[in-house]
Order: sequence, then structure tokens, then C-alpha cells
Amino acid sequence: MRPRHSFKAPTETGELTMTTTEQLPLIESIDPEILTALDTRSTEIAQGAGMSSTTAALLALGSIPIALGALAKDVYGQAPSDVLDVLQFALLLEYLEAEFYSRGIAASGLIDAADRTIFTTITAHENQHVAALQSLITGKGATPGAKPNFDFTAKGNVAGFNFSAGQYETFKALAMAFEDTGVRAYKGQAPRLINDKAALNAALSIHSVEARHASEIRRLRGKKGWISGNSREDLPAFTQGIYDGEDNLVQGGVTITTLPDAANNGGTAAATEAFDEPLTKAQVTAIVTPFLA
Amino acid sequence: MSDKPKLIIADPGLLGAARTRRDVLKIMAMGGAVVFLPTVIAACSKDNSVTNPITPVTPGSGSALTIDFAKGDIAVLQFAYLLEQLEADFYTKVVANFGSSNLTAAEKTVLQDIKYHEVLHREFLKAAVGASNGFSATPTYPGVTFTDRLSVLNTAKTFEDLGVAAYNGAAQYISSTDYLTLAGKIVSVEARHAAAIRDLLNPKSGDFAPNTFDNVFKPALVAASAQGYVVDKLGFANAPATFIQGPNGNG
Repeated sequence: MRPRHSFKAPTETGELTMTTTEQLPLIESIDPEILTALDTRSTEIAQGAGMSSTTAALLALGSIPIALGALAKDVYGQAPSDVLDVLQFALLLEYLEAEFYSRGIAASGLIDAADRTIFTTITAHENQHVAALQSLITGKGATPGAKPNFDFTAKGNVAGFNFSAGQYETFKALAMAFEDTGVRAYKGQAPRLINDKAALNAALSIHSVEARHASEIRRLRGKKGWISGNSREDLPAFTQGIYDGEDNLVQGGVTITTLPDAANNGGTAAATEAFDEPLTKAQVTAIVTPFLA
Repeated sequence: MSDKPKLIIADPGLLGAARTRRDVLKIMAMGGAVVFLPTVIAACSKDNSVTNPITPVTPGSGSALTIDFAKGDIAVLQFAYLLEQLEADFYTKVVANFGSSNLTAAEKTVLQDIKYHEVLHREFLKAAVGASNGFSATPTYPGVTFTDRLSVLNTAKTFEDLGVAAYNGAAQYISSTDYLTLAGKIVSVEARHAAAIRDLLNPKSGDFAPNTFDNVFKPALVAASAQGYVVDKLGFANAPATFIQGPNGNG
């Protein structure tokens, strides 16, 4: 069996709606490991038995919420398991990209000679992202997940694609899908790294490189470097999840199209292009799953 | 006294030119005299600001613009607001000069889009920081020729790369996950811009993403670069003592 521990049911707390105040109930923001230390009924909690025992533990302690919030964030920091989960998840995405591009540049006659430098550059980046994430995971005392086998036909959604000569357009289309996904995936996970600055830096410095890749690939395909509305452009319908929600117009409670002079600055299209949107781990998992053999 | 150096200022605008400022200081240090002709005195009496339509106002020569990190996340938003003011103003001037520019039609399309995005970023951040934390920086563009394709694109490259490194580096000082996500929503668009500009300058190369990991710059390093394009004297108060370096270790 291939290890797929980065594909467990999502446990993230990073999904957010955008307002200027904290959205998560405090109790949910405290890692179960910390609660375990507070609650004698640890077995129940480990089984996800839920808030009642958790709440009981907090009430039994008689602590005020502010103090517990400080305990969770400042004393324990972001729970290591949460950071590791993000890193393993990112590693899976980088494995996907690295293998895709590595096979692409190895394939005879697939990539136009004039574009080869673009793809050797991206390939090198993705392989180094893999190595960096593996190193980060190892540095935290954990074992990097193994590379799964991939199916770049996406269970037949990209029928017949096998890196053959003449399939360059399909190759570029898949590249656009993967890069736009990568940008949204890292963005969605960043909040879970907020208390591990080294991991946050690593994730953000990869996140913006994925955005550079996305822009380049999109432009190579004759598209804008940025995403307008929730348009998947000419990608097949099964990729729509990559673009759903990119038409969001409300940022931090502010409707972008109502800002001064917004109407004279590209209107709705520009308002959506100016902000990239995050995806949750569950949403990314749904996008990536067809590509897992 | 007659052998002491003397500098005659005949044009009030020259007070803002780097060479003149340097000359004034040099001559004063030598015990010399600086003579302001009556036209200068008259101009000064009417207008405290120093402007020159030809020579850009010297970066950093204006009044202090200090971002106080005691404000917490608001300070990070103010820092972003400063950079977006600069970018928005730059691209607005680029677009305004399209008529006499040697940019190609395709390049103008890209730059027009970027101008929209940066204006929207600026207006969003203005709303986000709120009126009580707002300010208006004064950009200046020494050496930039807005009608010249290479000058515009190279300056754009500088701004976009700096913006990416700035957001990536300021993120570690954000305490709200909501603001962290908002910064993430903007920084990837800046990175898309950076790649597009770099692609226009050097197509079919690897320049669109020059590093495996993007730079993560501390605010002071970003401000040192941005200062070259801002009249206000940029500074920080209560800046965080620690900065966690990114993978490139150059921030």
C-alpha cells in the first residue's frame, strides 16, 4: 500500500470567511492535543467525540477564554501536527507537479523547442520545492510522505494523454490547471502556519513562485496571466473547481467594485483579477484526487 | 570672503535637485554663502512645497512618513498601503503616457490591467486601514522615462519583485489569520504581474521566476528600496526586533 497519510479527511481549521475579526470559535481553534492534556477523557477526544467533553474540560478548569487562547497560541504554539499536515499536503502537490514536468521535459518531441527553457526552469523549481518540503518535514522529526503514483489522464478526463509528441497543447493546459491550483492551495493553508514563521516563510516563498509559473503558463497559452471571474478559460469542465470562487468581489468586508473609481478601473473583471482566492484542503483534495492513480 | 565659494539659486525648483542640495551643503561646510535671488524668496513665500517639472523631487527629502508597528496588524496594512500607492501612481502615469510611448499594443494591454489591479489594491487598503490611519505618500521617479518602453518595464519589474518580497516578509508580523489571507490574495497577483513584466522584457527565458523561492524581505529592507521612489522620508517606529529569514536568507 502506498502511504497516503496526507490524504486523510481534512482536519484543517484554516478555512475562513473574510472579516476583520476572528471567525473561529475559540474552542475549535485549540488543538486537540492541548485539550487532551486538559481533559482526562482523552480517548473520547482522540475519537473526535466532540465539543461537549472539550467544553466540559474548559468549564472544569474555570479558565477565562482569553487565558486559554493565550495558552494555545503562545505557550504551545501552533500544534506541530497541524503544521506537519500542511507540509505533507504541500509535498503531495509538489510531487504531482514535479513528476508532471519531469516527464514533460523527458518526453521526446512534446515541448516546443522555443519553450523548453520555460519548462526546464519550472521543473527545477518543483523538484527543489519537493526537496525543501521533505527537509522541513524531516527537520520536525517526521517522515515525508512517499510519492504516490499519478494518472495524468485524470481517470480518463484527459483522454489519451501520455506525454506523446503532438500533445503539447494538452500538456500546457494541464500545467495551467496545476499552477493555478497550487497558488490557491498554498494560500488556503497559510493561516495554519501563522505560528510557525519558518514554515510560513517557506510556504509563502513557494506560493508566489507558483503564481509566477501560473502567469507564465497562462500567457504562453495566450491567456491573461491573472484569473478573470471564475473562468477556467478553455480548460475542460472537470477543472472548474480550480476556478470556483475566484469571482469573489468582497474582500475583508469591502466590496471591491464599490471602491472609489473602481468603475473606471476595469470594473468587475479587474476586481476579481486583483485578488486571488484560497481553496480549502478539501477543495484541493477534490481537484487533485482524479490525478491519483 | 570674496574667495569663499558661492552658489546662486535662481530657480526655486532647483532646491529639490540632488546636485543642488549637495552643492548647498558642500558650500555651507566650506564656509561659503548661498545666495537666493529674489525670485526664489518670492516663490518660497507663497509655497512651502518644492516642485520642479523637470527634475524629480529628491527621494527622502520630504517630511517624515513613519509606520508605527505598535499599531500591530494595522501597521502591516499601512506598509502595504504605502507600496500600493507607489505602484498605483506609477502605472497610472504609465497609462497616461501611452499616447507617446513606444510600448507595443500587447504590452499596453498588460500594463492597463496591472494599473487597474494596483489602483484597486490601493483603494482597498485605504479602506482597510481606515481614515484615522491613512496617509498620502508622494512618489517620485528619478531616471524613469515614462514614454520609454524599457524604462517603464524595468521600473515595473523592480516594483513587482519588491512587492512580492515585501508581502512575503511582512506576513510574519501579521497576527490575524484573516489579514494573512488577504495579504496572500494580493501577493500572488503581484507575483503574476512580476512574471508577466519579466516575460515582456525577456520572453521565452527563465526570467519570469528567477528564484526557486521568492525573496522574503524585512520591512526595513523593502523601505530602503522603496525610498528611491518616495519623497517622504520613510521610517519605522517600534519595529519588531526579530525577523525570521526566508529560504534565500537575504531578507
